[in-house]
Amino acid sequence: MKAASFIALALATTALAAPAMAQETFKVGVSVGLTGYAAAVDRAWRDGLEVAADYVNSKGGVRGRKIQLVIEDNKSEPQEAVTVYRKMISSDKVNIFISGCVSAGNFAAAQFVVRAQIPMMLCSILPPQPDQVKWAYSFLAPPRFEVEKRFAYLKDKTPIRKVGVLHDPSPYANLQKDLAVKAAPDYGIELPVVEQYKQDDADFSTQISKMESAGAKAVLKIGLGGSTVTTAKNIKQLGLNTLLLGSVDDLAVFKPTGETLGNQFLFVAAPAQVYETLPEGALKQEIARFLPLWRAKHGDRDAVWAGKAWDALMVTVAAIDKAQSFDGEAIRAAVETLPPYQGTGGIYSFSPTVHQGITTNPFFMATYENGKVMVKN
Amino acid sequence: MLDLSFLGQTILNGLSVGCIYGLIGIGFCVIYNASGIVNFAQGAFVMLGGMITYVLVSLNVPLILAAAITIICVALVGVIIERIVVRPLWDRKATMFVMILATLAAQIVIERATLIVVGDQPKSLPVFTDLPPLRLFGIAIGYQTLWIFGTSIVLIIALGLFFQKTLVGRAMRACAINREAAALQGIQVSHMLALSFALSAGLGAIAGILVTPTQFTAFNVGTPFAISGFIAAIVGGFGRPFGAFLGGLTLGLAQALAVYSLGSGLKNMAALSVLLLFLFLRPSGILGSAK
Repeated sequence: MKAASFIALALATTALAAPAMAQETFKVGVSVGLTGYAAAVDRAWRDGLEVAADYVNSKGGVRGRKIQLVIEDNKSEPQEAVTVYRKMISSDKVNIFISGCVSAGNFAAAQFVVRAQIPMMLCSILPPQPDQVKWAYSFLAPPRFEVEKRFAYLKDKTPIRKVGVLHDPSPYANLQKDLAVKAAPDYGIELPVVEQYKQDDADFSTQISKMESAGAKAVLKIGLGGSTVTTAKNIKQLGLNTLLLGSVDDLAVFKPTGETLGNQFLFVAAPAQVYETLPEGALKQEIARFLPLWRAKHGDRDAVWAGKAWDALMVTVAAIDKAQSFDGEAIRAAVETLPPYQGTGGIYSFSPTVHQGITTNPFFMATYENGKVMVKN
Repeated sequence: MLDLSFLGQTILNGLSVGCIYGLIGIGFCVIYNASGIVNFAQGAFVMLGGMITYVLVSLNVPLILAAAITIICVALVGVIIERIVVRPLWDRKATMFVMILATLAAQIVIERATLIVVGDQPKSLPVFTDLPPLRLFGIAIGYQTLWIFGTSIVLIIALGLFFQKTLVGRAMRACAINREAAALQGIQVSHMLALSFALSAGLGAIAGILVTPTQFTAFNVGTPFAISGFIAAIVGGFGRPFGAFLGGLTLGLAQALAVYSLGSGLKNMAALSVLLLFLFLRPSGILGSAK
């Protein structure tokens, strides 16, 4: 009787284990700020990844394995990011990270990820240490592109030569600020006031007044989220004709900002945000592949960050196919030898020395007027 | 050379934000006086004020009507929190720390519920009076700033009259001075607790409605406002509604002057250092603690 019970138990265990083995998945760790200042962008990144994973899984997955997303909220805080990264490394045993835009969080966790030899596909800029960069790939355009686009617009289209800089304290914004300070003289632009704000500050009137007092006729706003709306509201409250030049962000931010300032507000637009105006070609085709899937699930919600997440997963899948392996080192090496990949955010050309895939400025300057994005260059 | 119009503008900006901090600080005091509870869900009331008004305005409800409905709704939310979160703990004589944790949990629940219902994107309201700002000695005075100042002054006077002249207001003050003695005099202390939550939530909602046209609202804007309001309440003298308002003005002004003189990177550090120094000299706050 005892032996029969043992055999029955063994059979039951085998029966349960067999499908589990057949359904082995490729685990993608996703550290995203679903709450906190990066929520708007990182939630879109997460949603874009889900659309991409569904698409890949509907085609049979990658080399026979379905993609499984392991999503953790880092609350847009570096300390939380370290916790969730470590959990995904040790408990979930993820194969790769495709993480969101909280650069400080990705930096803080990078040493653990490198030790575990797991590649990181990032929405943020690259971590500062060379040994960490080796395992990290950024799907963000180089920060200087956003700065250069705005300075070029001011130089070519306006007489404005004095500009105030308003930036948040994130590493990405600080980097852009430093680049702006360095690049301004090349465009004949002076930056008399550079001010840092906190993402949850309630008012920037004093910073804007300071810029106005110093003769600045435009505000170079560097940072994501609702703070751009606050800046616009404050400019209007102060009755200034100052131009507000916003960073790449979600249309949900641009809409209320544009409704407040009209054509006094210009922003750096990504290709997916000006899809209708793009010429026919590979870029438009790739956006057209993603956009219907996105819209079927999320309606007319902005696709720009979700599109980058789609790009990150598609590059990962291409690298696995090339490597013919799920090993972290093999995937890493394959990413660096992939031919240029046309994504929704531009062309990604990774190499052993280039880990920021976009090398040509893909951006446009645009306004939000009468409920529409209007390209201005 | 000292730019006087810029300095004046800075002071005006600081006072305008300070009014909002002050109104939130009053909310803390009203509940504390009636119950001895520090309600950290206060920021959620501010967020709900802006958010519910936004939703109603998007449904084409006129702004004034939307604001009135919102204030009533948020006051009801305050009463609900009092009934299902605070009252059971209060009846069991839970400690202050438990109460604080419970109200923080309520704040998080409200935030998450808002996130699920309206999403994560920033929303805003139009200014109440869409006209160019008035100019006085080179200082721009936006109409929304006037709305904030005007409403704050009216509310301060109304609250003063309520606490001094009405039976209910006096009963709430009696609870603030000595709850046991108030109960012995026939005052329904538990009713005063519910009323204090309604009043406090309504004040938070008004602050949210006033400030949203000058910035944005989202599910997660409540906590920073709660922190600023709490600081305002402490600086003014915890439990003193008018003191909290003065505390809010002081905090707003200190932040603005810190940006003026040191830059916004040092804003909070400088402002809070000044306030800390002030509290070293006068630990009970501007008007002295209520208890």
